[in-house]
Amino acid sequence: MNRRILLQTVVGLALTMAAPIAARAEDALAHVKAAGVLKVGTETAFAPFDFIDEAGEHAGLNVDLFNEVGKELGVKIEWVALPWDGVFPALESGQFNMVAGPATITKARAERYRFLSPIAEATVAILKGAKDDTIKTPADIAGKKVGAGKATAQLAQLQTFGKTLPKPVEAREYPGYNEAYADLAAGRVAAVANSLPNIAYVASKQPDTFAVVTPAFGQKSYFGFIGTKKPDDQPLLDAVQAALVKIKADGRMKTLQQKWFGLAFDTPDVAPEPTF
Amino acid sequence: MSLRLFELMLTAAGYTVAISAAAIAIGLAIGILVCAAKLSPRLWLRWPAIVFVSFFRGVPLLVQLLLIYNLLPSLGIAVPSLVAALIGLSLCTAAYQAENLRGGFISVPRGLLEAADMAGLSPWQQFRRIRAPIALRLTVPALVNEAILILKASSLISVVGVVELTRMAQNLSASTYRPLLFYSVAGGLYLAINWIVAAGGSVGERVLRRGRLS
Amino acid sequence: MTFDVSVIVAALPEVLAGLEVTLGIWLAAMVFGALGGFGVAASRRFGPKPLGILLGSIVNVLRGTPFLVQIFLLYFGGPFIGLKLDPIPAGLIGLSAYAAANFSEIFRAGFAAIPLGHIEAAQCVGLTQAEIVRRIMVPEMTMLVLPQCVNMAVVLVKETAVLSIIAVPEAMAVISALGSQQYAFVESLFLLALIYWSLVELCSWAGRGAESRLSKYRFS
Repeated sequence: MNRRILLQTVVGLALTMAAPIAARAEDALAHVKAAGVLKVGTETAFAPFDFIDEAGEHAGLNVDLFNEVGKELGVKIEWVALPWDGVFPALESGQFNMVAGPATITKARAERYRFLSPIAEATVAILKGAKDDTIKTPADIAGKKVGAGKATAQLAQLQTFGKTLPKPVEAREYPGYNEAYADLAAGRVAAVANSLPNIAYVASKQPDTFAVVTPAFGQKSYFGFIGTKKPDDQPLLDAVQAALVKIKADGRMKTLQQKWFGLAFDTPDVAPEPTF
Repeated sequence: MSLRLFELMLTAAGYTVAISAAAIAIGLAIGILVCAAKLSPRLWLRWPAIVFVSFFRGVPLLVQLLLIYNLLPSLGIAVPSLVAALIGLSLCTAAYQAENLRGGFISVPRGLLEAADMAGLSPWQQFRRIRAPIALRLTVPALVNEAILILKASSLISVVGVVELTRMAQNLSASTYRPLLFYSVAGGLYLAINWIVAAGGSVGERVLRRGRLS
Repeated sequence: MTFDVSVIVAALPEVLAGLEVTLGIWLAAMVFGALGGFGVAASRRFGPKPLGILLGSIVNVLRGTPFLVQIFLLYFGGPFIGLKLDPIPAGLIGLSAYAAANFSEIFRAGFAAIPLGHIEAAQCVGLTQAEIVRRIMVPEMTMLVLPQCVNMAVVLVKETAVLSIIAVPEAMAVISALGSQQYAFVESLFLLALIYWSLVELCSWAGRGAESRLSKYRFS
């Protein structure tokens, strides 16, 4: 313990010029309200939730939804965009108050983090090349190369599904889904595994290049925003949860879903028990 | 590429330049201290400096940046993205600059120092009037080189959430499906920046060469 | 903060596979880079002028832009001009080209640093151009450029980590993915730092050894 304090002091002294020592607020909600800023970590390669549009602007359902949350809480939203596999480490080290993403609600994650009210279905399906006739059902990816995002639940689902097939699937891990889509377009992989809302959006934007293979192969799951289970963070997460439920109840959520998915659907107010 | 997107690329290039310049300056200051420690006769000063240089030259910047961004906050030190990037680049370049400076100091001809001794200059006077100016002059080419290396290395800081030139190119390639165009433009901008730095460096060298000892 | 390396030790086979890719790409890029770099430097010195100018500008582009941008251009831009490479070949070609450009500058400086008197003397005793290169220039240059070559080896092993960004399954990609899966983020970073640090120190140590053994061939 002593050594840690020593290290803390030394590093702290060295950095006083560069960075203020973190004022570790006991209560994250009070801290966020006092600062007037809610810091949200995310990855900007996850259309239609979070992406950079053709004009170079950060856009998507998350942006609109958090603007509403910001109005409810009376704070501004500050985005921190990282590669997806960097988002959870940074959440744990306290770089931001919560994560947008969204992340698939899984057992392993729910054990470690707190999920807020689900915002969409996350069930995984296959995206293929529009002119590819060899993949008609999800099982046709047997023996083929399939891309998925590194450190994603979709990758885990793909690997689980791949093991049930007669020939194993060669899963290729990408730092972000944009790279996986680009490789599918280039023909380096035969398919990409991602959640339905994501690939439906991608296929609708480029119908000549991509097509969705129905039905979904993954187990039914939901997307949600994530916070930590640290006691200090709970009042803030409670407030965001309340705001999300309110946004769902008064119809704003349906409007946003319509805008970004082309259809609206019901999601439970409380994250359901994940099945995997 | 529309004008608006080109503007975005230029702005991102501006960030790249600003962050690199700040890192070079901070790195030079730290590098001077580390170099002094490494040249010190005291073991307890020399040793940490040796480990510092070895670590920051031996570990990929990508790993250093992630360590700084994820480790310092758990020790209670706030490091927002920009600060983490700046610390990572500065410490990395400090290690290299310390070695460059050390090379400069070692190359100061012994005869000059002996002559200064005979003329009765104090060690401080020797340092200020002979060793430091000569060492600095000898290190300028290495400093220019280092500036170019850091400009290029700054392409990695997006892993801690800073949107600089390379990240902007990556974002726009994805949203417009034109990677060839945006990565080429990014490459061209890096080349232009580095060309300006190199040209500035040779002007600086020429200025310093006035009053050269040989 | 907890610190538990057992999850990574449990996945040792995967870690070793990643290390194998790192070492393989590193060594291959060293060999191809050194050979290519020598070829470029020799062509620029002895070849026709237009070729020299062309090679010179390619070298400047490869040395004036970040390796990450080069590899993005090759991997994601390549398919648009019919060049469709898988991650490992793309990484190998990209890193070798980057290495060749940097090695060529080292060799060029090495050629330039050989005292003109030695070459003139060799010409006087009737050695042919090829003999001069083989028996005078290359041996003298080897000694001159060895420290920079060791430096380059260090730079290259660190650049292999960048290849994780285009999904090359090398040490950085494999170990950080393990860290994510097992929520052992900090442990995986420490392990990575340790691996690269050891490789770099090993490489510098070998370089110093080679230098002191070769120093008897030094001409001055």
